[in-house]
Amino acid sequence: MNVITTSNLSKVYDEGPVPVYAVNGVDLEIKKGEFTAIVGPSGSGKTTLLNIIGGLDKASSGGVKIGSTEIENLSANELIDFRLRNIGFVFQSYNLIPVLTAKENTEFIMLLQNTPKAERDKRVESLLAEVGLEDRMNNRPTELSGGQQQRVAVARALASKPQFILADEPTANLDSKSTANLLDIMLKLNKEEDTTFVFSTHDQRVIDRARRIITLEDGKIISDEKQHVQ
Amino acid sequence: MKLLIKIAWRNIWRNKVRSFVVITAIALGLWAGVFVTAFVQGMMTAKIQSIIEVEVAHLQYHQKEFRDDLKVNLTIPSSAEKLNELEQDERVTAAAGRLVSMAMIGSANKSGSIRVVGINPSKEALVSSLSTQLVDGAYFEGIKRNPVLISERLAEKYKIKVRSKLVLTLQDRDGEITAGAFRVVGLYKTDNNMYDNFNVFVREQDMRKLIKVEEDYHEIAAMLTHQDLAETVASDFQKKYENLEILPWLDLAAGMRIMNEVIGLYLYIIVGIVLLALLFSIVNTMLMAVLERVKELGMLMSIGMNKTRIFGMIMIETIFMCMLGAPLGLLISWGMITYFGEHGINLSGASYEDVGFASTIFPYLENQSYIEVTGMVLIMALLAAIYPALKALRLNPATAIRKI
Ligand SMILES: Nc1ncnc2c1ncn2[C@@H]1O[C@H](COP(=O)(O)OP(=O)(O)OP(=O)(O)O)[C@@H](O)[C@H]1O
Ligand SMILES: [Mg+2]
Repeated sequence: MNVITTSNLSKVYDEGPVPVYAVNGVDLEIKKGEFTAIVGPSGSGKTTLLNIIGGLDKASSGGVKIGSTEIENLSANELIDFRLRNIGFVFQSYNLIPVLTAKENTEFIMLLQNTPKAERDKRVESLLAEVGLEDRMNNRPTELSGGQQQRVAVARALASKPQFILADEPTANLDSKSTANLLDIMLKLNKEEDTTFVFSTHDQRVIDRARRIITLEDGKIISDEKQHVQ
Repeated sequence: MKLLIKIAWRNIWRNKVRSFVVITAIALGLWAGVFVTAFVQGMMTAKIQSIIEVEVAHLQYHQKEFRDDLKVNLTIPSSAEKLNELEQDERVTAAAGRLVSMAMIGSANKSGSIRVVGINPSKEALVSSLSTQLVDGAYFEGIKRNPVLISERLAEKYKIKVRSKLVLTLQDRDGEITAGAFRVVGLYKTDNNMYDNFNVFVREQDMRKLIKVEEDYHEIAAMLTHQDLAETVASDFQKKYENLEILPWLDLAAGMRIMNEVIGLYLYIIVGIVLLALLFSIVNTMLMAVLERVKELGMLMSIGMNKTRIFGMIMIETIFMCMLGAPLGLLISWGMITYFGEHGINLSGASYEDVGFASTIFPYLENQSYIEVTGMVLIMALLAAIYPALKALRLNPATAIRKI
């Protein structure tokens, strides 16, 4: 079953002198358990595409279906709630609430979902253990390294049991060791829990480890290939 | 909700300087509002106190039209009975009759127009504080024949001292001009310069001889157990004696009723200005707090924090700051009002006495007013939080996130 389906998706910015087609007629299907990298030069439309898929931005034309929901039919409030329950987000930075600890940040999503306390406690511990941060649970973001912060963000994204995780350049601010470490965790989650990941990246080392690579140029998909990794 | 409270509370301490500014602004605003109110109320209370004690007592009887031009023959019929009746009323603590007439005062140097009040010194002492306002001489003691009590100001003006002689010229009940020589027995001084310039006191019996009024009074003044009773008691007796004019203190002192209202309005305006300043400072800082956190708010909206919660979070932050600032402001105000309420604030440089106000103000505030001002400040703070909170809601997560 498709987790994400887009049909003839376009986004035009026409405030400037010439209209910019940030996304131009994208047809895309992503299935459960895929590990997909969106790549392409700067300005090719990666962020725009991810934002539309994640329901953060509206398409100019075409549609996005998440599972069986056409998200363009949702009201603003329904959309927020839909994101809360169906999509895990990891951004390049500013992922965490600075005044909350790693544990509280992870718990945050579940509190928004009104998950009972017992379940929250259990899940927070296992999630932070999965991203290897069981000993940093009570540290605030400023007391964590960039890589550790991104791992908390992954744990937080997973906490809502989303259909997939969307990550726009999650490793852009990380050194190579932290990048490798974050990729290890993402791949492990993908393999063991069948978590679906869609992420954009510029980093060749990240691209090398993706299972599916979609290349954008001027808002269009110019290649879509699978590769085998260990 | 618990979560929002936790985040909001911790957010306050993120930018300590800014929060401190808001908390201080709230405390200062509250302090300014409360203190100004207390100051003006203290001033008004003192003014009312002095008007009641020195000038008009709680209520007065006159013959209708007497107050217009103090006609000598407009005396109150059966004054003695009416005085007696008043003294029997349990709401009345004391009552006294007075003779009142316009007169010319003349000393060796100068003459001028004043008002002579003929009193029974011991009874008068029960309805006015005249006997306690002496700065020199004695209260109708030590001079046997025709003693007169004048103000210190008048004494200066006419260059006379205690025991000096002066002449009072008035009209008797037949319209004849008559004059009497009096000797100054004492000098008094009140907070009201105008009153001082205008009133001299003689003994009732001395005045009766001059104006040929053998019985009855021009004015009956009474003190009550409480000043708030004045309007009811006055109207009770007014109904009984329709031919007389029986008025409570609020209507006796010129402009008192209007002043009471105008000052109330004036207070609202001052407190309003203070609150407006407070409003702007809170809007400003909370707006900064929102704009500075655009990325974070964008992230929160992206991951699924809905608008109600975002709005709530910003409002709770403001409420917390109010809850820190308000008690602080109240505490400072309460401390200052208590201190100055006892020691007074000396304003003798500001010539308040020329317009009839005491030169030392004892700020005073009823508990009710503390609650009112606090309520207004809190409402203002909430109003101030709405705009920044709405601003936060208008953020578009996609745009906010792009800045990341
Ligand atoms: N708000 C906007 N208004 C106008 N044009 C925009 C806006 N946002 C993006 N664009 C344009 O849309 C195109 C795609 O931008 P997008 O950010 O999606 O690219 P990207 O592939 O994510 O680039 P990068 O690798 O630098 O992050 C660019 O040409 C960009 O200039
Ligand atoms: Mg981008």
